[in-house]
Amino acid sequence: MTVVPAQQSGGGGGSSGLYDVLELVLDRGLVIDAFVRVSLVGIEILKIDVRVVVASVDTYLRFAEACNRLDLEAGPRKSPGLPEIVGEVTESGARGKSKGALSGAAETISDAFKQARDDGSEEETRSRPRARKSTASRRKEEQE
Amino acid sequence: MSTYVYGITAVTHPSLPEGMGGVGDPSRPVRILRQGELAAVVSDAPDGLRPKRRELLAHQNVLSEIGAAGCVLPMRFGSVAPDDDSVTGVLAERADHYLERLRALDGRVEYNIKANHVEDAVLHHVMAGNPEIRALAEANRQSGGGSYEDKIRLGEMVAAAVKDKESEDGPALERALEGVADAVSVGPESTGWLANVSYLVKRESAEDFLAAVERVRADMPHLEVRLNGPLPPYSFVEPGPAGPAEPAGTAAAGADTEAG
Repeated sequence: MTVVPAQQSGGGGGSSGLYDVLELVLDRGLVIDAFVRVSLVGIEILKIDVRVVVASVDTYLRFAEACNRLDLEAGPRKSPGLPEIVGEVTESGARGKSKGALSGAAETISDAFKQARDDGSEEETRSRPRARKSTASRRKEEQE
Repeated sequence: MSTYVYGITAVTHPSLPEGMGGVGDPSRPVRILRQGELAAVVSDAPDGLRPKRRELLAHQNVLSEIGAAGCVLPMRFGSVAPDDDSVTGVLAERADHYLERLRALDGRVEYNIKANHVEDAVLHHVMAGNPEIRALAEANRQSGGGSYEDKIRLGEMVAAAVKDKESEDGPALERALEGVADAVSVGPESTGWLANVSYLVKRESAEDFLAAVERVRADMPHLEVRLNGPLPPYSFVEPGPAGPAEPAGTAAAGADTEAG
């Protein structure tokens, strides 16, 4: 899984732009009741909540560590033990960092499309994608 | 053979993509079904059509092509009619409705905005604005990172503060852009972004809209703002349901009344 720095910002375009558009293709647009819609099994994963704020112990720990790291970098109260602490925080925080809001979303969605493209092993999920929390935690577990 | 429907447009549309590759592997060629003043852009529906990336892209590409040259009512991905006749049947039966929507959306395109917090930036913000969090973080640091419980407590407070910031920034972003748009449609929440909003913008106002987006990016540097468009008006095809709070049709319908 590619790690995208959370700081990356700026314009649309790129692959995340593509996924953003495909969300519209799947979720909006005209629906005519006289027509049937093809099954969207395998694509529900698009709807998953991958925001930063997921109420979980994992998130809390990550935030706590991120806060330490931030202040250390800002450096108003550097202490002699700094390098060790930085090393430790960076190591344990790295994974969490890579799952920050932006990259987390893009990765999850790109996984979804990869999965949908590769087909084959799509598992049945709920047919309407509105309930997200539970799916989110399940997906999260899978990622751990 | 069932019929895959991409969108509905006016029969007067200047450049319909007849023969273009549509969904399926191999791509089924796009055909045009005409009925009165309306035209449906369709192709044969491949058996076992699935929401794969290439199919979604094919759908989007056909619609972009139509949308680039004129107004189209885009279908949601995966709409399949039993046959061509049932498509033209629907066009005939609901002609007034579709013609009204085409008039209302004529000369307008959709821009979709999605935004996230830049994590480090929002954490800085939260720390700066919250003495309690700062104090706790400092205490933790002095005790070598803090106990597990201390970390959880700090993390919980930060998470709540970030969430508050999200619910503040989402609407702020939305408001900053709504002035330059004809209509606004707020997309589903909590799906990997703090804001997911579509704007209906007149083609001639597109530059103003893009300039407003740039201003937002400058004013809210802690947000990653992703812009997509111009797109066919996916979020504005129906007067009401597409935008729960902000009836998407209102502004457009108003413009229509002016014109008529």
